[in-house]
Formats: sequence, C-alpha cells, structure tokens
Amino acid sequence: MISFLSEIQLELYNSFKGFVKENIKPFACEWDKSAEVPYKTIKKMGKAGYFGSFLPKEFGGQEWDIVTYGLLNEAVGNGMAALADLLTIQAMVSIILLKWGTETQKSEWLEQLASGKIIGGFALTEPDTGSDIQSIETEFIDDGNCFRLNGSKKWISYGQIADLFVVFGKINGKPLACILPRKSEGLEIIPINNMMGYRTAKLARLNFGDIRIPPENIIGKPGTALSLIAPVGLQYGRISTACAALGLLRACFEESISYASERKVSGLPLGDKEIIRSLLASMGTDLNAASLLCYSACRAEDEHLPEAFEKVLMAKYFSSKAAVKAASNAVQIKGAAGCNESDPVARYYRDAKIFEIIEGTSQIHESILGKLFLDKTHKEELLSA
Amino acid sequence: MEHINKNNINQKIKNFILNAIQIPDLRDDDNLFETGIVNSLFAVQLLTFLEKSFNIRVSPEDLLMENFQSVDSATSFVLHKQSV
Repeated sequence: MISFLSEIQLELYNSFKGFVKENIKPFACEWDKSAEVPYKTIKKMGKAGYFGSFLPKEFGGQEWDIVTYGLLNEAVGNGMAALADLLTIQAMVSIILLKWGTETQKSEWLEQLASGKIIGGFALTEPDTGSDIQSIETEFIDDGNCFRLNGSKKWISYGQIADLFVVFGKINGKPLACILPRKSEGLEIIPINNMMGYRTAKLARLNFGDIRIPPENIIGKPGTALSLIAPVGLQYGRISTACAALGLLRACFEESISYASERKVSGLPLGDKEIIRSLLASMGTDLNAASLLCYSACRAEDEHLPEAFEKVLMAKYFSSKAAVKAASNAVQIKGAAGCNESDPVARYYRDAKIFEIIEGTSQIHESILGKLFLDKTHKEELLSA
Repeated sequence: MEHINKNNINQKIKNFILNAIQIPDLRDDDNLFETGIVNSLFAVQLLTFLEKSFNIRVSPEDLLMENFQSVDSATSFVLHKQSV
C-alpha cells in the first residue's frame, strides 16, 4: 500500500476491506450469476456511509477526502466491480447536485442519495452517439411554463432501479441538464440484460416521451451542461472507475500469488516456473504503478489542482488497461480452473473489459491525453525558442 | 490599487491558459471556446484554476460560458466575485 496515507485513511481502508470481505466477496460469484445484488447489501453500504463518502455532513455525508473515496472504490472493486459501479453512479449524480444544484435541489435529494435511500442514474449516453457526447440529440423544448423532454438514452448503469436521473440534452442547440425522478409521466425504462461483464449493473434504455420538466428541476443554465456540468460528474466517475480497476487488479494479483504458491505441478509449486514469475512480475509492477497514478490523481483532486483532470484521465486509462491485462494473465495462470464460472478470475476477466469502456473509452482517453501532451510539448518548444 | 489587482488577475489567467495550450500569444478578448483555442473540457480546468487561485466559489448562478470565454471576461468575473 502506498506510503503517504494518513492513519485515518489507512484505518478507513482497513474497515472498507473488512466490510467487503464479510459482505461482498463471498457472494459475488453467486450474485454475478443471478445478475442481482440483494437490496439488503445496498442498504448496508448506505448505512456504512459509502454513498455519501465525500458529501458534507449537512447532507448526510461522511466528508471523507477524495483519497479515502478512492480507497473505498478500490476495496469494493476488489470484491465486485459491478458494485463499485453503483458507487460511481451515485457519486456522479451527487457531485453534480452538490456543485451545481440549487439549495432546494440539494436539500431535497442529497441526503437521500447519501443514505442509499434512493439510487441515482447518469443519463448521458445515447443509442446513436456513444462517447461523442457533443452529438447528443435528446431535446428540451420550453413551452412557456415548463420544459418538455423527448429522446432516448442507452446503457444507463443501474437505470433499471434508479429513482432519480440526471439527464443531458439540448435546448435550441445549447446543452442543458435536468433532474428527472423515476415516477415522471412519459418515462419508459427498458432493461438491458445479458451483458458480458458488470452483470448486476442493471443497465437500461430510457425513452422520454414528452416528459414535463418543471423549471425547478433544471440544473444550471443552457450552454454549460456538457462543458461544466457533465465533466464534473465524469471526473468523479473516472476516479471511481480508476480505483475500482485498481481493486480488481489487486484481486487478480492476490489470486495469482496464492494459486502460484499453493498449486503444485509435478511436485513443485507453480511459482517455481519462470513463465509464471514473469506474469506475476508484470502484474505486481502494474499494480504498484496503477496505485501511484490513482492516488496521485485523488490527491490532486483533494488539493483542487487544475492538473487533476489530466491525472485522473491517466489513472483511469492506465488502471483499466492494466486490469484487463492482469485479468487475462490471472486466467492464464489458473488455466482451465480460471475459465470456470465458479472461479472469481473468470468474472474478473469479463468485468475488467468494462473498465475500458465506461466513463470514456480508452480510445477517447488516448485522444484527449495525446492532445494534452502534444500541446504541452509544443508550448515548451515555443518557450525555449 | 484596483488597477494593479486587475492586471495581476489578468496576467495570472493568461499565464494559466498559455501554459496549457499550443499558441504563442493570446489576446485578452479572444473567445477561447468559439475560436477553438481550447476544447470545452478545458472549461472545468479553467474554473478549478479560478476557484483555487483567487479563493472564490463559482456558484450555479455563475454558470454562464460568458463568464469564462476570454481572459477579459474571466478577469471581470473574478473581480466581481471578490467584490461581493
């Protein structure tokens, strides 16, 4: 574990691991198979304060710093990635309301989100737009008294059970965001099942059929939803995903070390074989690198540094790719046993791929980071000329 | 004094933007977003920088791109927030 953690952070990390060991890890394979996490587990997570980790106490939160929020996601991701996704979504909705919500919106929703009494949904991706968020077609029309919402969203995590959505669309071409309670008339929720990974993430398609949105449910002002509102949510989503990927990477490493130590082939431990050591060396090094990137990003966010944006992108990009590689190697080390659904590494293998897709694909991260690095290099050249 | 403060803020904002992007110079009234000098994702970085550097809090009421679209507008926005 990284050396700069405070005593409190370390203590909380140990308590998160204890919770996961007792309440999540032993049941994860079974839940994954049935694509269902019992509500009592979600309730327990809420009671433990996990959904309000960084929220202020006045809204029922724990006021933990972002490093601690990262540690929580790592611990839950170590037990079950799809459940860490619930932390991701809850955080994305909460931070948007905390940062950009009106006092009424905050007092009405934040405490309920923090306690897990209600589940949030982040409705940005559309059937025809994918990662290209600027091209969204969901439309708001101002009818004088209220707004009318029409359009569709797809691949919305926990959409099947969410009580409250933050929805992004456009009004006269300008991006706009709103709060949409589940009970709204005209909202159709269509479950999306049979996913390769994140099987318990309750994905859904949402159809908006001329839904009435009262002005008090609008977040911010037209023109800023995709440049200032969504990015704040995505930043927390990426922190959560990066750290959950780190947790899965750690789980792959732990399983592989344990198997390589215990499993004997021709009377000798598997770990005596050079090829196995090589795989473990790669996995362990990636684990340490991902840990440093993730917590450096969390610290930058804690310190409110502008470079936090870039650091979070790098952490998510690296951790998700490293998790995919580690999960593949963990299956390789276990051989046929690792290909059986009763073995956790089979689930890690399927879940890891999802990290490379959610909250911006690896390719989107490459495009943004590549440009950031190019701009920086050119700037340095200009200054030294 | 007010003039010096304005110049300091202006220079700090300009330095931050120039440090992040690939252009040799920037006019104070250049529209950062419409001209494509920066992409929209930069808005959050700029906003974070303004909050951190000038100890101000950007509230939902301030959520207008006009407040952040140029060095001039960001400077005026910071001065306004510092005065209230």
